[in-house]
Amino acid sequence: MTLSVAGPRFPGLTHRLDGWVAGWRRIGAQARFYAKTLGAMWEALVYYRGETLRMIAQMGLGTGALAMIGGTVGIVGFLTLTAGSLVTIQGYSSLSDIGVEALTGFVSAYVNGRIVTPLTAVISLSATIGAGTTAQLGAMRINEEIDALEVMGIRSVAYLASTRVIAGVIVVIPLYCIAVWMSFTSARFATTVYYGQATGIYDHYFSTFLQPSDILWSLFQAVLMGFVVMLVHTYYGFTASGGPAGVGEAVGRAVRTSLIAAVFVILFASLAIYGQSGNFQFSGA
Amino acid sequence: MISVHSAAKPVRALGDFFALAADTMMLIPRRPFAGREFILQTWFVARVSLVPTLMLSIPFTVLTVFTLNVLLLEFGAGDFSGSGAALAAVTQIGPLVSVLVVAGAGATAMCADLGSRTIREELDALRVLGINPVQALVVPRVLAATLVSLLLSGVVIVTGLVGGFGFSVFVQNVTPGSFVAGITLLTGAPELGIALVKAGLFGLTASLLACYKGISVGGGPAAVGNAVNETVVYSFVSLFVINVIVTAVGIKATA
Repeated sequence: MTLSVAGPRFPGLTHRLDGWVAGWRRIGAQARFYAKTLGAMWEALVYYRGETLRMIAQMGLGTGALAMIGGTVGIVGFLTLTAGSLVTIQGYSSLSDIGVEALTGFVSAYVNGRIVTPLTAVISLSATIGAGTTAQLGAMRINEEIDALEVMGIRSVAYLASTRVIAGVIVVIPLYCIAVWMSFTSARFATTVYYGQATGIYDHYFSTFLQPSDILWSLFQAVLMGFVVMLVHTYYGFTASGGPAGVGEAVGRAVRTSLIAAVFVILFASLAIYGQSGNFQFSGA
Repeated sequence: MISVHSAAKPVRALGDFFALAADTMMLIPRRPFAGREFILQTWFVARVSLVPTLMLSIPFTVLTVFTLNVLLLEFGAGDFSGSGAALAAVTQIGPLVSVLVVAGAGATAMCADLGSRTIREELDALRVLGINPVQALVVPRVLAATLVSLLLSGVVIVTGLVGGFGFSVFVQNVTPGSFVAGITLLTGAPELGIALVKAGLFGLTASLLACYKGISVGGGPAAVGNAVNETVVYSFVSLFVINVIVTAVGIKATA
């Protein structure tokens, strides 16, 4: 038996309105999930300490084929290494156009510390830890393992999402230290070995203009973006649907969203930190 | 024997990847060209990439321009902020952001799509029907991603320059005339050409990686998720490497 239902009077408009409403609902659902995950973090630390530790180990080293090329540490280190040498290649040639290539050390200290390392770190975090988390949680959702956890009386958000957020934020700190070290070292190596600048010149300008507080602030930004990346990626993994292809699409959507969110977080954090004074002393510290 | 086998696995994967890349390149001029699939894929990649590209390129350039301007205003060289913004937007941010989005949005979706087709054995069905999956599915995807990445880098550069102009002029009080005059000081046609070459290479590599990972999936949903994850990692790593090489070569070539 078929029932005929009167269609809406303005189909195009209704369709668009439905889209808007669905978008708002999704934002609401995300906010609720984030609040729930953050609120359940103490449960993860109290009841699921073993799981949290397991997550930290897994994220630091990576799983499967990624562990073979050095895991998360290797990828983050490699990306910041290339980014650091890129700053030198572009900076050195642009500076030598106007005859002040001696200032490459200064460019490395300033640009690497403030922009390049945080941005490169967020890209590599989202690609490694983040995308891995979404893939893992998405596969669990598709295989109905998350429902099984809930049936067994385990708090699924605390057990799966909060533990991963805690682990991600903890893992970010040593990873970011490696990233900073790698970008500075590779910039120095490229300038002094590849371009043959005297190490004394490079070190002089580098240490004159390096602001230790810049590095501390960028570590703070790294922890912030660790939170953002992990929250976004756990949400998309947790709500994956639509079979194997759905898991893959969720990974893609999560990478896109977390990159945008984390870059905006870095931008606003930078504006808040450096916006007033610039925290820059021409005479050096 | 098992250890030898597992040690050879990454090498074999690398060889398979290059074999697929060679196959794809060989099949590009071969008829019949999958024109319809090409248009659909181009539309798809452009559709999923456009909004994220704009959303990423604005904070990237504003952050860079802000940091550079703090420095330039300290020197009293605020008039040159246009040169810095143009250099950053054209040489680095344009190609980089467009490929981050093409790899993050387009390539992941391609890999997920091809991966789920592989585990549903649709590719084997195509082979049985006498259709080469590389020609029917991989070639149009690779061409589409390359084309969209080229086009998007232009969008990113324009957005970056406009965003940098707005931020410099209205927030950091740089003179608009000197900003515009400074744009072409360090950045010219060669830099723009290198940027486009970079964007094209990035799109090509990211989509080849995505197609390879999608075709070589084995196992269930978890395998597709892992393949997408590996696509993201490998394409980001390779784009950073390509960026360093092309930048260094480009600077030598134009100097």
